[in-house]
Amino acid sequence: MARTATSQRLFNSTGKYVVLVLMAVIALYPIFQMWMTALRPSNEILRSPFALPSTLDWSNLATAWTTGRFGTYLINSVIITIPTVVGVVVLSCLAGYGISRFKFKGRNIMFMTILLGLTVPFQSVMIPLYYQLLNMGLLGTYWSVILPGIAFGLPFGVFLMQSFFEDLPHELAEAGRVDGCSEFKIFKDIMLPLAKPAVSTLIVFQFMKSWNEFLMPLLYLQDENMRPIPLGLMFFQGAYTRDIGLIAAGVAISTVPVIAVYLIFQRQFVKGLTAGAVK
Amino acid sequence: MAQQSRRGSQRQKAGFWFVLPAFLFYVAFFAYPFLSTVYLSMTEWNGIGDPKFTGLTNYVRLVQDGAMWSALTNNVIWVVLGTAAPIFVGLIISVMLWTGVKGAGVFRTIYFLPMVLSPVVIGVIWNWIYNPLFGLLNTGLRNVGLGKWAIGWLGETETALYAVLLTAIWTYMGFCIVVLYAGLQKVDTELVDAARIDGANPWQRFKNVIVPQIRPVLTMVIVYTVIGGFNVFDVVWVMTGGGPNNASEVIATYTYEVAFQNSENGYGATLSVVMSFVALGAAYLAMKFRRAGEA
Repeated sequence: MARTATSQRLFNSTGKYVVLVLMAVIALYPIFQMWMTALRPSNEILRSPFALPSTLDWSNLATAWTTGRFGTYLINSVIITIPTVVGVVVLSCLAGYGISRFKFKGRNIMFMTILLGLTVPFQSVMIPLYYQLLNMGLLGTYWSVILPGIAFGLPFGVFLMQSFFEDLPHELAEAGRVDGCSEFKIFKDIMLPLAKPAVSTLIVFQFMKSWNEFLMPLLYLQDENMRPIPLGLMFFQGAYTRDIGLIAAGVAISTVPVIAVYLIFQRQFVKGLTAGAVK
Repeated sequence: MAQQSRRGSQRQKAGFWFVLPAFLFYVAFFAYPFLSTVYLSMTEWNGIGDPKFTGLTNYVRLVQDGAMWSALTNNVIWVVLGTAAPIFVGLIISVMLWTGVKGAGVFRTIYFLPMVLSPVVIGVIWNWIYNPLFGLLNTGLRNVGLGKWAIGWLGETETALYAVLLTAIWTYMGFCIVVLYAGLQKVDTELVDAARIDGANPWQRFKNVIVPQIRPVLTMVIVYTVIGGFNVFDVVWVMTGGGPNNASEVIATYTYEVAFQNSENGYGATLSVVMSFVALGAAYLAMKFRRAGEA
């Protein structure tokens, strides 16, 4: 354990744990306290804001769910997120495979054009896209955030899948070719199943990105019945500024699903968010 | 080999059909609107009728626009502090984890957690922390007898930007820790031990042996926070809306107001074009710095 030996001198051991635990508290406490507050009656919160719930009170959560329409927002988020993730994953796998495995005219220019998107923020297209969606008759429909959402997922998705397919051995595809399979069949039946780790990273990453998207629905989905969770939460906060119990309930409903998914798939999350940074 | 043969080159063409759907999608909803933005930036247009071409008028206006400069200054403050602070914390914590602790995986999971939440959720949580009456921060200050410090953090022009920035730093700390920790896994511990035997103190070992080895990862984190700092919108919009009195205005919130509240689409487009190039230029400089370091 050469590493441990190095370590002991860099930091005093107890002090180290104190700092690490303190950091963990800083990261978790605000979220934890919000959940606790969501479970307390509003009058009790005003008396002692940071106490733990004496008895569990579900009324704030119920009010947020029904009156605050978080039930609707949750469904909207699902309606927007699923097609976006499916679109990004399907198109990225196809394109990433095509770029990494074939040499054809226009390959480099197509790839570079898509990669450029990694550095262009959504704000740089939001204005003309608004009028484009209006002219296409899509503004105010779920498609107005799904279609651009897919386009914006592609630069990272294609980049990720391309570098993954590039590293796979070529011999497998050759075997399929000798057997007379079509190129699409080779992709679908031989290569794609091998790409599972990269695909699951991309699914989780894109899920989180779409689930948390804010500016796009703020601009293109003006109907309050179609708001996804982040947008709903912002308007909810504006409407109930003084009722911290209700706001906490809104936060709890917004955070529990995404944290649950994170805890289940944390390896893919970390990989997705740090891909590119660590290579 | 087979690639040279006729059938081989026929085969290579199949790649085009794999890439085409993604490319068309990308052009329709990303590349084309981006080019439209560049065109719109040279027009005057309130969204009705046709844009009126005005050449570089908007760019001249931009250079003379005090509100733009003060927003850009806020972005620069955001980029500098929002990069330095989380990287400083990230370096300390990741090296601590790397030197071997029990439960490193659990710590990592916890630190990273804020990063998976929507900036809107994070903004709402921190609005509550900063609430002047019942917020965590002011209640805490009153309890330790510092009640006179308990101000409306988001409502004062002097503190609003920094209060929002602290929220972003809180979010990004975990990201920096996790990425730098991953980079540290590749550090050659024998070199570190050799330096120790040669009498290098912990700080020297960190600065001269560890940091050079994680330099590529460090650069990528910097590029990430720099681009993020120039493009930031969500958390500012939710917490202050750029206020009070434009004190926490950044380019993205200013662009939103110009384009969608004042219907000045042409000038809004000019702002977004400039913003993209500023972010790109800054990222490019950071990458160059990285290459210089490798050479």
